[in-house]
Amino acid sequence: MSEFLMYLTNGVVMGVINAISAIGVSLIVGIMKVVNFAHGELYIFAGYFSYHLSVSLGLSPLLAMPLSVFFIFLLGILMERTLIRPTYGDEMYSLIITFVLSIVLQNAALLIFGPYPNKPPNLLSGATNIFGLFHYGNQRLLSFGLSICILLSIFYLIKKTWFGKSVRAISQDRGMASLVGVNHLKINMVSFGLGAALAGTAGVLIAPIFPVTPTGSSAISLTAFVVVVLGGMGSLKGCVIGGLVLGILENMGAAYISTMYRHIFGFIILILVLVFRPWGLFGQKA
Amino acid sequence: MMLMMFLTGSWALAQDTIKIGVVGPRTGPAAATGKAFEEGIAIALDHINAKGGVLGKKVEVVFEDTGGVPEKAAAAFEKLATRDKVPIVVGESHSSSALAQIEVANRYKVPFIICEAWHDDITKKNYRWVFRAGPVNSGVVDFYIAPFVKENGFKKVAIVRENSDWGVGIADRTETNMKNMGIPFVTLKVEREGKDFYTELTKLKAENPDIILAYIYGTGLHFFVSQANEVGLSPKALILDGAGPPSLWDTFWKNVGKAGELELFMSSMHEKVHLTPTSRKFWEDYKKKFGKDPTDYKTRSIYNVVLVAADAISRAKSTNNEAIVDALEKTNLEVTTGIVKFGLKQGTYEYHQWMPPMLVVQWQDQQQIVVYPKEAATGALKKGK
Repeated sequence: MSEFLMYLTNGVVMGVINAISAIGVSLIVGIMKVVNFAHGELYIFAGYFSYHLSVSLGLSPLLAMPLSVFFIFLLGILMERTLIRPTYGDEMYSLIITFVLSIVLQNAALLIFGPYPNKPPNLLSGATNIFGLFHYGNQRLLSFGLSICILLSIFYLIKKTWFGKSVRAISQDRGMASLVGVNHLKINMVSFGLGAALAGTAGVLIAPIFPVTPTGSSAISLTAFVVVVLGGMGSLKGCVIGGLVLGILENMGAAYISTMYRHIFGFIILILVLVFRPWGLFGQKA
Repeated sequence: MMLMMFLTGSWALAQDTIKIGVVGPRTGPAAATGKAFEEGIAIALDHINAKGGVLGKKVEVVFEDTGGVPEKAAAAFEKLATRDKVPIVVGESHSSSALAQIEVANRYKVPFIICEAWHDDITKKNYRWVFRAGPVNSGVVDFYIAPFVKENGFKKVAIVRENSDWGVGIADRTETNMKNMGIPFVTLKVEREGKDFYTELTKLKAENPDIILAYIYGTGLHFFVSQANEVGLSPKALILDGAGPPSLWDTFWKNVGKAGELELFMSSMHEKVHLTPTSRKFWEDYKKKFGKDPTDYKTRSIYNVVLVAADAISRAKSTNNEAIVDALEKTNLEVTTGIVKFGLKQGTYEYHQWMPPMLVVQWQDQQQIVVYPKEAATGALKKGK
C-alpha cells in the first residue's frame, strides 16, 4: 500500500512539474498560434542562469531564481520583436523559425556552458517521511508547492485581470479585439515574454531536482508538446490535467508494467486522444 | 600538365602530416567524454610530436563527433575513411556506436583501435581491422565486479541497467556470474536517458538489496545516486557505478550532494596508483597543460590508444593498412596502464583485445579510496548503515 501511495504521489508531483513545463507553450499557442520549439532551450538557459548567478556569482538562490526568470522574459521579448513578429499569420514560417532557433540555442548552450550537467543549489536538502509510509525528497516537495502557487497565479492572471481579458479577447478574435482598442502587438509581445518566462520558471524550479544539460532541452520540449496536445491546444486547464495524466500514467506504468517503457505509456494515451478526441481533453473543437 | 602539377602538389602537401582519425561523442548525453578525449589527445600529440612525430612527419588528429548515436557514429567513421583518408582511427566510448563503426571499418579496411566501448561483440566478431586497448564487459565483470561482490560478502544484489548495448551486455554477464556464485539478485531495466527513478527505486527498496550495480551512463547516474538516498535506499545499500566516469565528473558532488558519500565506481586511474613511468609522465604533463589533476579516466584511455596508433605506424614504416595491422598485432608498448599486447587467438572476445587493470574505488569523505583489488587497495571498504 505504501508503495502504491509513493507511486501516486510521485505521479502527481511529476504531473505538476510537467504542467509547469508546458504551460508556457500552451499560453503562446493559445494566444498567438505560434508553436515555440525553442521552449526547452529557454528552460535550460534559465537553469544555467540560476546556477551561475548563485554558484559563480554567489547570489542567494532566492534572488538568483527570479532574476533568471526576468532575463528569460527579456530574451522572450527580444525573440518576439526580432524573429516572431514578422511571422504572424504564417504558422509554417514561425514553426521553422523557432525550430532553427532551438538548434542554435542548444549549440550556444553547449558552447557557453559546456557539456556537463549543472544544478543550482537546493533550497532544502534531505527527505521527509510522509505519514510514516515513505520518504520523499524535500526539494521536490518545495518545487511542487511553488509550482502550484505559480499555476494558480497564472489562472488568476488570465481569468481575472484586464491583461488576461485582453489576451483572451485576442485569442478569440484578433480583429475585433483591435477594433475595441486592444493593442494586439503589445499584448503579443508581453504574452510571448510571459510564455518564455514560464519556461524559465519551470527551469529554475526543476533544475535543483533534475540538473540541466544543453542537450536535455529536446526532451523537455517534447514532454511539453505531449502535455499540450493531450490537454488541448491553448487550454490552461487542459495543460494541468494533461500534465497530471502523463505523470501518473508514467509512474503507474513503470511500477506495474515495465520500467523500461515508462515514456511509451504517455505516447499510447496521446495516440488514443488524437484518434478519438483530436482537439485534446479540454481543447476547443475547431 | 597544370592539372598534374596541381594534383602532385596537393598530394605532397597532404603528406606533410600524418592524420589519425578519432571518433567519440562531443555532443549528446555523454558530451563530457568528448571533452576528456580532447584533453587526452592534446597531451598525446604534444608527447609524440616533441619526439619528432611519426615517419618524420608531424601527427595530427581529425576528431569526428558521433553524438552517441550509432547512425551518426557510422557516418563519422565513413567520413574519416573516405574524405580524410586517415590510415587509422581510434576512440569511441559507446558500445552501440562502436558496433556500428566496426562494420564500416571492416568494409573500408581501416584499422580501428577502440578504447572505451566495452561490449564483448566488438572484438568477438574477430574482425581483422578491429582492435581494443580498453575494458571489455566480460573482463570487467569476471575479474573485478563479481569477485568484489563475493569477497565482500554482499548477500543480495540489485542490477540496474539502461537499455543500451553496453547496459544489456554487462548486465547479462553479471547475471551469469551471480548465478554461478549462488548470490541472489534482481534485475531492473531503466531507460537510457531517464531522469526520475523514484518508482524504480521504490520497487528496488522492497527487494532489500545490500549492493546495487548501476549500469547507467551519464547524468542519469547522478539522478540515480541522489534519488536513491532521498528514498532511503542508500547508503544502506551501496551503489557501484559500473562505468565510472560520471562519478568523477566535476559536477558529480554538486549534483548528488551528500548522497555521493560511500558510492563506489569502476576506474582505471587513481592519483596514487601509477603502474608505469608513462602514467606518471601523463599525470605531470596533464597538470602542466591544464593546471589541475586529471579526473575522467577516459582522458588517459584515449591518450593510450593514440600512442598505440602512432607506434604501429612508425613500426609499419608506412600508412598502408595491412602493414599497420601487422604492426598492431606485434604491439609491445608501455602505456599508462601497463604494456599493451593484443590477443591473437581467434574465436573469442580476446582476439585483438588488451584490457588494462581496473580498480573499484569508493568515495570516503570525498576522497577516492581504492578498495579492490586488494593488492592495489589504499583503504578498506566502508559499508553503509
